[in-house]
Amino acid sequence: MTRHRLRIALMAVLALVLAACGGGGGGDSASGPTEIVVWHGYQDTEGEVFKSLIDQYNNEHPDVKVSDLYSSNDLVLQKVLTAVRGNSAPDVAYMFGSWAPNIAKISSLVDMTDEVAKPDWQWDDFYEAERKAATVDDKVIGVPALVDNLAIVYNKKLFAEAGIEPPTPNWTWDDFRAAAAKLTDPAKGQYGWLIPADGSEDTVWHWIPMLWEAGGDILNQENTKAAFNSEAGVKALTTLQQMAVDDKSLYLDTTNENGPKLMNSGKIGMLVTGPWDLSQLSDIEYGVQVMPTYAGSTGGHQTIAGPDNWVVFDNGDERKQAAIDFVKWLSAPEQVKTFSLRTGDLPIRASVGDDKAVLDELNNNVPGTAEFVENLKNVHNVRPQVEQYPAVSEALGQAIVAVMLGKDEPKAALDSAAEAADAKLAEK
Amino acid sequence: MLRRLTRTDTVSGWTLVSPAAILIGIFGLLPVLMSLQLSFQKSDLLSDKTPWVGFDNYRKLAEDPVFLESVKHTIIYTALFVPGTMLVGLFIAAALNRSVRFISVYRTAAYITMAVSTISQGIIFLWLTDRDYGLVNAALNAVGIPSQPFLASPSQALYVIVAMTIWGWTGFSVIVYLAALQGVPAELHEAAAIDGASAFTRFRTITVPLLGPANLFLVVWLTINALQLFDEVYVTTRGGPLRATTVIVYYLWDRAFVQFDAGYAAAMAYALFVVILVITAVQFRIARKVVHS
Repeated sequence: MTRHRLRIALMAVLALVLAACGGGGGGDSASGPTEIVVWHGYQDTEGEVFKSLIDQYNNEHPDVKVSDLYSSNDLVLQKVLTAVRGNSAPDVAYMFGSWAPNIAKISSLVDMTDEVAKPDWQWDDFYEAERKAATVDDKVIGVPALVDNLAIVYNKKLFAEAGIEPPTPNWTWDDFRAAAAKLTDPAKGQYGWLIPADGSEDTVWHWIPMLWEAGGDILNQENTKAAFNSEAGVKALTTLQQMAVDDKSLYLDTTNENGPKLMNSGKIGMLVTGPWDLSQLSDIEYGVQVMPTYAGSTGGHQTIAGPDNWVVFDNGDERKQAAIDFVKWLSAPEQVKTFSLRTGDLPIRASVGDDKAVLDELNNNVPGTAEFVENLKNVHNVRPQVEQYPAVSEALGQAIVAVMLGKDEPKAALDSAAEAADAKLAEK
Repeated sequence: MLRRLTRTDTVSGWTLVSPAAILIGIFGLLPVLMSLQLSFQKSDLLSDKTPWVGFDNYRKLAEDPVFLESVKHTIIYTALFVPGTMLVGLFIAAALNRSVRFISVYRTAAYITMAVSTISQGIIFLWLTDRDYGLVNAALNAVGIPSQPFLASPSQALYVIVAMTIWGWTGFSVIVYLAALQGVPAELHEAAAIDGASAFTRFRTITVPLLGPANLFLVVWLTINALQLFDEVYVTTRGGPLRATTVIVYYLWDRAFVQFDAGYAAAMAYALFVVILVITAVQFRIARKVVHS
């Protein structure tokens, strides 16, 4: 039976003990190839392509043997932590970008700053958002593994039925709001827009680009105080309030899982989402457009990228070097191109993303992908790289949900979230 | 005949229990002690620095509004879930405690919810209670009641989880009650019936008192489980909306693995442990006076 609850807490501690018993092992043997292990969360097509890349690497490099271990991305941090504590860390692990400030504190993490400065890495060829997300206090903690961003994905048929023109790059949030209202029909269970509304980072990162577009920011320059309760913050949150409370054109998805399903069944006019959802929208004809702007704001078009990283752990010099070499090969333009074309993921290097032939082929496989690649140019900001970000995000998430449920006003909600965030930031 | 344990008996005794004792020691006791140590430290599980902070984590608990809120939610949940599961279970068990045709089919049907994993159960209820597309709202609309937000509403979500878990646990209390009901001697009922007692009177004065041990077991067992509610919340609401379903263990998990505040989370686990210990002790004390065993 799966009815043990408290044990989840205990199990975490238990895992630490287990790992301690496990010990290191492998890698130092004088004979045979150097063995390294890569933990990743690739499944299905991505998993197959990733495995074939590893096979290729192993064939070309007989002195190294790379093996891979599937590990769900959502839980990988907990697993890596356990392994690090038990001195049996993987050599390379796929890590969410939002964990970067926390990962930076792990002592066996390999500092890549000097490594990626070498010219053959072509570090500047990675998109700016990726480089920023891999850097914590001037220290490079990993190498870009994936990049994406948010844009409007809209249902062409619903727009035609409502008699409105599809979104253009000139849209303001007022245009967006008006269109969403027209696309809403409660009798049919049809809504203009859907937003993840569980109050997690998933909710928050949908709102952050709006904040930036309105001219605001999350924290101050020094990352010591909240800045989101500014005029811009109130403006951005008021947009959500108007749509959720006044117009009721915004479907609040408290499960965070209904988005692509409802979109694909023609119940939602517009979804602000990333390229990963496109392959699930096989039943509808959709278009992709950049996020609207705020009239009169200097923020312009923005979006948020959620770059993830390959992180290297130190398991002795020999394995460490082998791991760095592998990651370097994996993120080199040629492999980036192969992986992108075969999986449909956005290319993580600008040189590949600017390649017209690559774009055409990507768009041919999954329509709309090219727009998302193009939209990477609208990524001007990243989330603050502070270890307290999870607490900041949680405070913001509660504020956003409270406003969308009509339980609080934008200014008051943001002020109390700022108070909570400031307290956390001061703790240090 | 008792005889004194010899030296060899002691050795062979320990040999026999040691495999289990060692395993429980390593996988049960040791982590419990390590988490006690953790509760007096500031640890994010990431850096090597884990400074001692004395009782700071415990002091913070008393002032943390979210923790106090989660305690309140846990109490409300437990107070509804435990009696609810027992009453529904007793009702169904009494109905199943007879010889009719296909009785084993009915009994299996009553127990089958226990075989459904919590994850599937959560997903089923998410779907059933969906504000716009759920079956429950379709049924309500059919009889003229407007759609309810259920799990999407801060004021309803906790009660939906109560209903959902009662549904999930009813099979368990049915089995326990059914076993207890079968242990009620038929001759007592016959004798009372001859004396003219109605079926209801017989149930109240013969059956119910003899169910004492079953009641005690269920109260203790269900309470411990209710205080540790986590899976259902994780699957359906993630503690929301607006923390309306944030119960103690969910908050504990959030602090340890989302916010990397493991020391504080360990202190929370120990606070919960003490509460469970006290409640269980009280339940046993009361039971000693009430239960006929």
